[in-house]
Amino acid sequence: MHELLNDPIDVIVSFKDNRVLPHAMRWNERDYKIDNVNLVHSAREGTKRVFYFSVSDAANYFKLKLDPELLEWRLVELYADG
Amino acid sequence: MRMDNGRIILHIDMNSYFASVEQQANPFLRGKPIGITGKNQERSVVATASIEAKKLGVKTAMSTWEAKKICPSIILWPGDPEKYADIMHRFNAIYRSFTEHVEEFSVDESFLDLTEEAQDYLGATCMAQAIRERVSEACGPHITASIGIAPNRLMAKLASESVKPNGLTVVRPHEVLNLLDQSDLEDLCGIGHGIREHLSQLGIESFQQLREFPLERLMEEFHGYGLWLHEAAWGREVVQEPSHTSEPAKSYGHSYTLPFNTNDPVVLKRYLLGLADKVAWRLRRDGVAARRISAHVRFADFSGHGEQRTSIEPITDGLRLFKIAWQILAPFLQHAPVRLVGLTASLISSDPKRTSLFKKEQHMQSVLSSLDLLQHRYGSGIWKRASTLPVEFKSRSSGFRFDHEL
Repeated sequence: MHELLNDPIDVIVSFKDNRVLPHAMRWNERDYKIDNVNLVHSAREGTKRVFYFSVSDAANYFKLKLDPELLEWRLVELYADG
Repeated sequence: MRMDNGRIILHIDMNSYFASVEQQANPFLRGKPIGITGKNQERSVVATASIEAKKLGVKTAMSTWEAKKICPSIILWPGDPEKYADIMHRFNAIYRSFTEHVEEFSVDESFLDLTEEAQDYLGATCMAQAIRERVSEACGPHITASIGIAPNRLMAKLASESVKPNGLTVVRPHEVLNLLDQSDLEDLCGIGHGIREHLSQLGIESFQQLREFPLERLMEEFHGYGLWLHEAAWGREVVQEPSHTSEPAKSYGHSYTLPFNTNDPVVLKRYLLGLADKVAWRLRRDGVAARRISAHVRFADFSGHGEQRTSIEPITDGLRLFKIAWQILAPFLQHAPVRLVGLTASLISSDPKRTSLFKKEQHMQSVLSSLDLLQHRYGSGIWKRASTLPVEFKSRSSGFRFDHEL
């Protein structure tokens, strides 16, 4: 199942070596532990740069969007295996 | 024109690039046949097939319905051009840290001239391994590349394509004929199906036969390209000296495959106006104006029609581009449902930014300037005309450019 979303989420992160590492997220009143950060990329929205984190747990792939101006996280894509 | 003398060229080609990036991002796609498509999957083509899909017969540019027929288990995945562009900038930066002589051949292929930096083929091989490690660290282990090293671009590309995926093939000058003789004519970049057929009619089926064919007869058959073919058969590349000044764009154009075939003029006008605004924005952004407008359509049966008009006044306004394009296309839209519309602006000159004598046009110029400022700040798509609200232009993933970087 592949879904495109744009839902605000809460994310627990750590900062290390000028990098942001998401560890867990809360979406739809449910907590998800992030097992792997598979890819991080950025994109421009006009003069603003936003960051996308492609992460996964044992059963789901999530694409998270970080707006560094608003310090806001959103879940923009979900893929569940099977 | 120059020939290759003692050069060491590395060709690097990311394997199934768009698909590999998605498999890196999403572990549930790994090891599975996937095809990267446009956002509208029913009317799209496979822009890139994963290595697993290729093994099952899916080819690049195959329509999605054909890919599904050949490989029912294929996962069709909408492309994400911004992601691919960001990763591309990452690996191109790595290449440039090894040599300043980098030629980007397409979004996922580059040539690196390592003649000075590597000094010999052993040095070039070590650099290739180092590049591969750096790319893997920066982009992820599932994004792999095939590398070829040879005395010129033609042989380097042939070498990299001889071992896929993740190959490293070194072809020294004395080995190029051997590589050619193990290859089919169409394996060489520059020999397409048409030339292959023409060569076949001349009784040429291999590079050995091409070498033995008299140059004069090749020149008679292929004109200037005959020399290129002759040299290529000997593993040499005839290169036009590159121009060191970047040429300004000669035209600006957009086309779009509609989500459904239609000859409803309201729908077609909306798409054409949306395309005209995209073209006009790029003209204004680059400080240029156009005097020639070409418009074209492709009908459901894949026949098409296109014409052009030349204006006395240079144009930068999307609405004016649209009106001319609609005049061109309107008489032909009753024949059959339309599949694709396109618009190109050419005869480009620098925009004189003259203020119009007419109040209405002055207002429009002022509105467009403000909208352009918004677009610079917040990105394209920040505004659209109310009349184009019902239409949406979905981004595409192409092997040669990214729409959002135009």
